[in-house]
Amino acid sequence: MKQLKNMTDLFDRLNDLKIAFSYGEKYIPIIQSIIDFMKETVPLLENINSSISDTTNKIPKAKDQINNVSNATELATTEILDIVDSISLEIEKVENDAKAILTKEEEKRKIWVQIKEILKKNPESENLVQKYEEYHSVQPEIQKILEVFNKTRNDVNNIALSLQVQDITSQQLAAVNHLIESVREKLTSLILHLNESEGKEVDLVKISAPAGAAFDPDAEYTKSKEKQDVADVLVNNNYTKTSQDEIDKLFS
Amino acid sequence: MDLKFLVVDDSVTMRRIVINSLRSLGYNNFVEAGDGKEALEKLTADSEINFVITDWNMPVLSGLELVKSIRSHETLSKMAILMVTTRGVKEDIIEALQARVNNYVVKPFTPQILKEKIDQIIQVA
Repeated sequence: MKQLKNMTDLFDRLNDLKIAFSYGEKYIPIIQSIIDFMKETVPLLENINSSISDTTNKIPKAKDQINNVSNATELATTEILDIVDSISLEIEKVENDAKAILTKEEEKRKIWVQIKEILKKNPESENLVQKYEEYHSVQPEIQKILEVFNKTRNDVNNIALSLQVQDITSQQLAAVNHLIESVREKLTSLILHLNESEGKEVDLVKISAPAGAAFDPDAEYTKSKEKQDVADVLVNNNYTKTSQDEIDKLFS
Repeated sequence: MDLKFLVVDDSVTMRRIVINSLRSLGYNNFVEAGDGKEALEKLTADSEINFVITDWNMPVLSGLELVKSIRSHETLSKMAILMVTTRGVKEDIIEALQARVNNYVVKPFTPQILKEKIDQIIQVA
């Protein structure tokens, strides 16, 4: 009886083995394809890792270049402002000279009226007086020159005002730098994670904190008065005594 | 009213533009500061300053923090303050007004806008 039970157990085990083999036949190709896939994927992942490392190392350079652009535009803007100030100063000097000429011309005109009275006594001088008067008065021309100077001064002032774009763009660039730094931190942590699993050490590039980190990421250079109008409405409606709902109604 | 302005901005360019604009409006008395902390130092050292024009986004101490410091200061709390900033979002403007700036200008500005706001502040004072 015992032998019969042993034989039955043996056949059961053989049957289990047969099932296992038939499973094996079914799944071995799948396992094989997984192994093949892993063989192909690992180099790809290594490439990705290397590419991320490379990109991460290049980011500080990109940040430096952006800072350089910001510094260069500030320098150029300062130079333009220096020139604008110099032009404004020259215009002011010439304007003052022209105004002084006008004052002298007015005094000369008063004297000329007296001279004419004296010359009236001499009939031969009449023709000469007429000719002199044709060339004498420079006041209209000087007035025109002053108008041109006035317009030029306004144009120069407008150039200076347009240079506000430098402050606005430098804030935008600072915002981009901040964004780049955030990406770098993410990539660095990804590399650390990948390399920790491989037991490698990572040589991280240190970045100095950006100078003047205070910036407005939404800074924009626009001639639109929309934002100023919003500020005016809020100021003029003494918003501090009104609720947020009331403020919102103003803009709905 | 004789005005002595303290122009606060971390951008040298902007300080020059603001001061040039003030000059074109006939004002000639200015002091400059590159951030809120320096501004507070100048304010406490120079009692002739009676008008502050400040940017918002600055290192060390921001314009908003400067406004709050001035308003809570024993002797400076009544100071006229005009904020000139790129921040034009409604919530920002409300925050500045809650900190009790007297008026608000969004960059880029024109001398006319600057004059208008200065005049409004002077009239109320």
